[in-house]
Amino acid sequence: MRPSRPGVRGLPREYMRQLRLREIKALSRSHAASWPLGRNSNPRRSDSPRKSRILTASLSAAVPLQAPRGLHCSAAAHNSDSWLVPPWPEPRKGPTKALTLHEELFQQTLEGARDKANFVRAVQNFGQHNVHKRGHVDFIYLALRKMREYGVERDLAVYNLLLDIFPKEVFRPRSIFQSMFIHYPRQQECGIAVLEQMESHGVMPNKETEFLLIQIFGRKSYPMLKYVRMKLWFSRFKNINPFPVPRDLPQDPVDLAKLGLRHMEPNLSATVTIYQMPSSKDSTGTADPTEPHIVGIQTPDQQAALAHHNPARPIFVEGPFSLWLRDKCVYYHILRADLLPPEEREVEEIPEEWNLHYPMQLDLEYGRSGWDDYEFDIHKVEEGPVFAICMAGAHDQATLAKWIQGLQETNPALAQIPVVFRLAGSTGELLASSSGLEEPPPPEGQEEEEDSQQRQQQGQS
Amino acid sequence: MATSGCMGVANLLRRAVAARASRALVAFATSRRLLRTSPPSRAFAKELFLGKIEKKEVFPFPEVSQDELNEINQFVGPVEKFFTEEVDSERIDREGKIPKETLEKLKSLGLFGLQVPEEYGGLGLSNTMYARLGEIVGLDASIAVTLAAHQAIGLKGIILAGNKEQKAKYLPKLASGEHIAAFCLTEPSSGSDVASIKSRATLSEDKKHYILNGSKVWITNGGLANIFTVFAKTEVVDSDSSVKDKITAFIVERDFGGVTNGKPEDKLGIRGSNTCEVHFENTKVPIENVLGEVGGGFKVAMNILNNGRFSMGSTVAGMLKKLIEMTAAYACSRKQFNKNLSEFGLIQEKFALMAQKAYVMESMAYLTAGMLDQPGFPDCSIEAAMVKVFSSEGAWQCVSEALQILGGSGYVKDYPYERFLRDSRILLIFEGTNEILRMYIALTGLQHAGRILTARINELKRGNVTTIIETVGQRLRDSLGRTVDLGLTGKLGAVHPSVADSASKLEENVYYFGRTVETLLLRFGKTIVEEQMVLKRVANILINLYGMTAVLSRASRSIRVGIRNHDHEVLLANIFCAEAYYQNLFTLSQLDKYSPENLDEQIKKVSQQVLEKQAYVCAHPLDRTS
Repeated sequence: MRPSRPGVRGLPREYMRQLRLREIKALSRSHAASWPLGRNSNPRRSDSPRKSRILTASLSAAVPLQAPRGLHCSAAAHNSDSWLVPPWPEPRKGPTKALTLHEELFQQTLEGARDKANFVRAVQNFGQHNVHKRGHVDFIYLALRKMREYGVERDLAVYNLLLDIFPKEVFRPRSIFQSMFIHYPRQQECGIAVLEQMESHGVMPNKETEFLLIQIFGRKSYPMLKYVRMKLWFSRFKNINPFPVPRDLPQDPVDLAKLGLRHMEPNLSATVTIYQMPSSKDSTGTADPTEPHIVGIQTPDQQAALAHHNPARPIFVEGPFSLWLRDKCVYYHILRADLLPPEEREVEEIPEEWNLHYPMQLDLEYGRSGWDDYEFDIHKVEEGPVFAICMAGAHDQATLAKWIQGLQETNPALAQIPVVFRLAGSTGELLASSSGLEEPPPPEGQEEEEDSQQRQQQGQS
Repeated sequence: MATSGCMGVANLLRRAVAARASRALVAFATSRRLLRTSPPSRAFAKELFLGKIEKKEVFPFPEVSQDELNEINQFVGPVEKFFTEEVDSERIDREGKIPKETLEKLKSLGLFGLQVPEEYGGLGLSNTMYARLGEIVGLDASIAVTLAAHQAIGLKGIILAGNKEQKAKYLPKLASGEHIAAFCLTEPSSGSDVASIKSRATLSEDKKHYILNGSKVWITNGGLANIFTVFAKTEVVDSDSSVKDKITAFIVERDFGGVTNGKPEDKLGIRGSNTCEVHFENTKVPIENVLGEVGGGFKVAMNILNNGRFSMGSTVAGMLKKLIEMTAAYACSRKQFNKNLSEFGLIQEKFALMAQKAYVMESMAYLTAGMLDQPGFPDCSIEAAMVKVFSSEGAWQCVSEALQILGGSGYVKDYPYERFLRDSRILLIFEGTNEILRMYIALTGLQHAGRILTARINELKRGNVTTIIETVGQRLRDSLGRTVDLGLTGKLGAVHPSVADSASKLEENVYYFGRTVETLLLRFGKTIVEEQMVLKRVANILINLYGMTAVLSRASRSIRVGIRNHDHEVLLANIFCAEAYYQNLFTLSQLDKYSPENLDEQIKKVSQQVLEKQAYVCAHPLDRTS
């Protein structure tokens, strides 16, 4: 039962090389997207047009070609799970018989909850209704689309169940020529689609997957190739993000804010303070303008810096700035000051009687020689200090003033310092296209400033 | 009975010492005359940084006269008897305090005023004598620490910086042990960082008192002491009439009021010594009790600490000698496989190590003590710090090896060995941690070398012909690979031919150490202060060099004078010198630029990552990615 060896090797070498390269690129790209980097990373965006072109080039024309989507036509991107799954057919435009049938399988379960058990039941029903597995490719595509709805898109067992629908041994190439000219391309592509969706959800295939694929498509097949590459690259990319974000983000906005703040402040000695809990009558905590949540973070160093701040110089509350955590966007504000002009900076002098045991400086005229100076000659833009960060449910001045009031408890110096609110309306270009937004930013058009007098009144109140 | 006997001994010693003092006075006068004509003595360790050996300072090994030796032996006998027969170290350790009667006997033996001048009722011992007594006191670590805190740092301030009235008022009672002294510097927020001292003394309205407020921690003798040397911040008007906070030292009596202490700390080792917090609350200190100048406390503290360190060498050596006796008896009696433990090579190695360490630290300690006893108050603070670092680390290593020999018996409380281990751990920490002392050793020396090097560079720039020729010639000779000869060996050399090989090893090390120091200074300039790993290596080399010098000097003297078992000394000296030589070569090569042996960059990166996460970074070995 050994599969015929020459299989893939039979393809023109150059062609194969390109295919492999492209697939690796595509794979790494989709990986980079599926583990969004913490700091302001872009939302996942499927680059479907490009990939579908690759597909057209690489696989035979037997694939039902979808019209290539425009480059910016990514409206469907966030709900389509995978580029290989054909787009959702318009339900009114004469649905095929097979599709309605399969749809019904899922409809039956609709009465119950949309969970794994019902999904599995629908898949099993398909097998029972359809002994000959007629239309299994369409069904698998349908099931792939439904997975997210049922919340099983990260369940390896379900993917294996889907692969199990394929009839075994039928699509295995039996001769060198069959494996050379892609055998059952539509089915192979469907198999790849399953793997692709696993990939985009970060599901690592296991031995069972491998066993199924060998049974269905044989060892020298494209799904198998995809499997091997997934096995190779998944492990390498899994921990590539030095700032990992948990896979399941907390739903509670306060917890999410805590997570986001910890993510931005790597200093472990920083303290997170909840200045205000969202009011209980409003469960979302964001729509209520009176009691939105306010969560802030501050390090001891920042506290010390704020204590030494010259009260004659105002400090600013700025924001909102966006932070992406996987597919969620949260907004934060910072409390910062301008950089001191050079003439006001205190030169840090080494006190004469500082260290009892050894001299803190040598009485030499020269410093480090050029040969031992490994600092790169970098032009650095110096910025003013940031004293604290907060995430609040609302981005208006009243809410942020409460944050400043809360900060005063741990930073008494803040009472003397005028605080200017600089709240921008727009938060960047990423807002419109994403569905995972916490909420749209407030439509405050112009920069809002408050003079120090008013601020000090607030401080007294 | 025993007490009166001790008293008798102390009186006898006092008389003997008085006689010696008159002789010493004569010697002092003559040496003073010498001082005027001869150039100021250069410190030995500082010259090593320039690649030079200041032979006059260390050769020959310092000796004491026969009379002095007899006197000290008369004194040592009863003290040793007391320590071996009457001091119950196990009980002191268990109960966490020194019994009253033991303390009384220590007082009657005069051990509380060893270095207090005779006119104030002390014994006025020289540093060498003090070191000799330290060997015996070291048999019980708790007593040694209590005594050291009393006289090496507690009352040392009064001897060094006190005026006549202060000395007359406090020293007699301190010397007799009627009062116990403590040294109060460390605070919760301030260890070596003196600038962050929070204790404050403010001048009262009538300008007759200072009002002292503050808390001090880790004060040895804090619960027993009646006299405290306290460091606190005072406002001082500077020369440019600006007000500044400066440290001032005060003599504070417990009777001044407002002095309280916490309960004794429960410690790992030296459990018999009393360590606790001391609080001062509105304590009224008369202005007569300012020690030294107002605002001059920093220097006072530095002097006290720098002076108090050298004695650790002999104290530890005394303890090690005892330990060698005890473990050797065990190794020669315990049989395994029909052989005594002493016949196994791996056990023999450990004894050789202990003997070698004891020999080196003893040599270093007495060499330093001898240097300190020379007239003219030589500055031997680097040497003292080196003795402290070497002896504390040697003690820890040797005790650990001893426990290895003893196996299980070393680990149980039925035997004294585990107490030795616990007691010796503190040596690496107190009186300035070894890390800090290494910085001190390296930086003080580099400062000296830097000054001279700068002067030479300036001369080169000015185009001084002789300097240029000298420099070029030196480079040429170096590139031809000449053999280093600093004049230790050869006919009528400072060292005996039996250790000549070791001496030339020392010479080679010293010479190339000087060159490396020069390169380092040129490379890093004043930013070398930031390069702590480099400084540590510099200090390590210097400690080795000083150890080599000490053993060579001592062994040479022993051979020439014909001391008992001097062949054994030659063996030990040669072993140590060879080991230190190869260690130095390795360390020197690490100090080279682009040295493959130097892993500092990687080490820094690792620690940076660990500290950023504040945890062990690696994933579990059983983790999988799938």
